[in-house]
Amino acid sequence: MTTPRAHHRRRAGCAIVRITAVALTVWLQASWVTAQKLTLAVTPSTVSFASADPDTTPTILAAPITVSVRVQSNSGAWHLTVQANGDLLSGGATIDATQVSWTAAPPPFQNGTLSKVAAQPIASGTGNVNPAINGSVVFRLANSWNYSAGIYSQTIVFTLSAP
Amino acid sequence: MRIRSVIVAAVFIGAAQASPALAQPQSATATMTVSVSTSAKLTISSSTLTFADANPDLVPQIAPAQGALSITAKARATDNAQVVLTVQADDDLRSGLQVIPASAITWTASGTGFASGTLSKTAPVTLGQWIGSGSRTGSQTLAFRNLWTYATGTYTCVLLYTLSGP
Repeated sequence: MTTPRAHHRRRAGCAIVRITAVALTVWLQASWVTAQKLTLAVTPSTVSFASADPDTTPTILAAPITVSVRVQSNSGAWHLTVQANGDLLSGGATIDATQVSWTAAPPPFQNGTLSKVAAQPIASGTGNVNPAINGSVVFRLANSWNYSAGIYSQTIVFTLSAP
Repeated sequence: MRIRSVIVAAVFIGAAQASPALAQPQSATATMTVSVSTSAKLTISSSTLTFADANPDLVPQIAPAQGALSITAKARATDNAQVVLTVQADDDLRSGLQVIPASAITWTASGTGFASGTLSKTAPVTLGQWIGSGSRTGSQTLAFRNLWTYATGTYTCVLLYTLSGP
């Protein structure tokens, strides 16, 4: 014969066990769901434009770079963008970032023009990209006599996101 | 209590399955470099100038048969550096032993940065002057001072145009 207090304790114990079991189940379920994974690589990590006569070479091409994109466990859209951290700088001299454009292939990679103000789309899609796709990107500089002599540099940032 | 637990569990499980963990955006950087070397390019519309004979009383200043020279001076210089276009005669105008001073040739110019002047064989004379890189276009209209004192003959000299920066 149990007292009301003992009975109450046993019921409380059962409730705690039940809640623990439920919590464990939820944790296991949540862990079982595969986490979304985004992988981005850019090689090489340098883009160089050689000096050239603007009359004979109005557009200077840099060597192609490879942009590798992999998207896993994704059911929505994904986007790859590129943005310059600023204009190209050489001391006090500048070349506007918008003087740089690019051609990219194959689809879903796309052509565009660089900006320091806003991230520009360079590839996009939906769902997974697995195995990874490699885009060949050729940056192009509009050559001009107006550029001051010097060595200019700037960092450009590729960003892969989903959604 | 049991029903409540099952419901709570279902809600948690449903939420976990409907919203898989989203990955943080991935970034990669590249360094962009542009090399711009100093350079200059000068274009003149004609490489010869011919001043025809004329009556000094009627034509005291003879214009060349080619008309005004069109000049394009393109230069890449360091930031805020001075770019200068000069012209100099290699000698006086000569026809055998006869001489007409190079200073008999003068010019007027049009175009931003272009200036009028008088030819010299002893020193380059500034025809244009600018700050920094750029492509500049102007014209130079030369004239030959016609005098009765010149001995007859065909006189020649060479004009050297020089575009320079630092």
